[in-house]
Amino acid sequence: MSRLLIVLLSAMLSITAAHADHHIPNLGEKANEFKDDGKKAHKREGMSHAASLIMQRKMHPELLSHKRDKTLRQGVRGGYTQLQKCVDCHTSVDKNGEHIPVNAPDQFCSTCHEKVGVSLDCFSCHRTTPAEDM
Amino acid sequence: MKELNRREFIKNTTVATASVATVASGISLTTFAADPKESDPVTNEKRWGMLIDANKLSEVDIDDMVNACQEEQGWGGEVHSTGDQKSGWIKKVKVRDTATQRVSNLALMCQHCEEPPCVDVCPTNASMKREDGIVLVDKHRCIGCRYCMMACPYDARSFVHEDLTDQKEHMPRGKGTVESCTMCVHKVDKGEQPACAQAVSSDAVIFGDLLDPTSNIHQTLKNVQSTQIRADLNLNTGVRYSGI
Repeated sequence: MSRLLIVLLSAMLSITAAHADHHIPNLGEKANEFKDDGKKAHKREGMSHAASLIMQRKMHPELLSHKRDKTLRQGVRGGYTQLQKCVDCHTSVDKNGEHIPVNAPDQFCSTCHEKVGVSLDCFSCHRTTPAEDM
Repeated sequence: MKELNRREFIKNTTVATASVATVASGISLTTFAADPKESDPVTNEKRWGMLIDANKLSEVDIDDMVNACQEEQGWGGEVHSTGDQKSGWIKKVKVRDTATQRVSNLALMCQHCEEPPCVDVCPTNASMKREDGIVLVDKHRCIGCRYCMMACPYDARSFVHEDLTDQKEHMPRGKGTVESCTMCVHKVDKGEQPACAQAVSSDAVIFGDLLDPTSNIHQTLKNVQSTQIRADLNLNTGVRYSGI
């Protein structure tokens, strides 16, 4: 009986592993350039670059919502965490040189958000492409 | 060495003490007067306000103000909204005196009340007043119930009825939320003037800190007769009018 259970469990595990393929999101134009130049994005003080990136991936909603309340309600502007900075770096450009909305299918935000089934409400109000003058 | 008598000793010590005090007060003064940084929260030491002189403001000026506001904040391009559904952050209002038939034109927008009724009625705390007196809608919290639109005596708020794209970077706007004049808070925080005040070349619109005795608006309000619209409601508006 226990042997059967182990076989079953290992079969289930292998299915999960097969699905957990490394899905690399479309980083976006500027972020790709940045990476190609060998620069380290989102590097935090006292943390390795890898740890900083994991922190950024896991904590970006908290970081953004903390900052948004400070900005809107207390008038604290500037700083590192700004949604428009995310958009500036992580949007891609199509063949005609036009910016593709960052929340469009297969773009930076939607790749992961669709995968994990988390809705993305930022862009019902916020601009999805860098400002015109950029 | 010269011997000091009592009188000379006192004189010298007083001078020395006085100079130390001056230095000390000078230091403390510079500490307090240091320019607030971008990263500091706004405080109630300031209260932003505006004075609109209806006598100096022509109809063309008001149109310029409305256009400047649309350009700056990106409203007015809604295609599916009709009539009252259209956004109107700043409006041209004609007032006619029934006895004299005198017509005055007013630019009417959010009056940035000290006691804002919109904030009182908001069930989610989305409608809010910043410490420096600017009344805003926190669209992260707004559920679109529109109580604030009902509560506002100035009809200053609008509701977004359709999906929007290409919003201004500094002014997120979206379907299902209420919006109104922000007194160009993104510019004010950078030390600039609101777009409507900039659009008028004359001094018909003065923007500034109501509490600062050296500011133009404070001085003018001190010398010129001005009024608040619906002053009977005791809302203590930040936007004042003269010549009406």
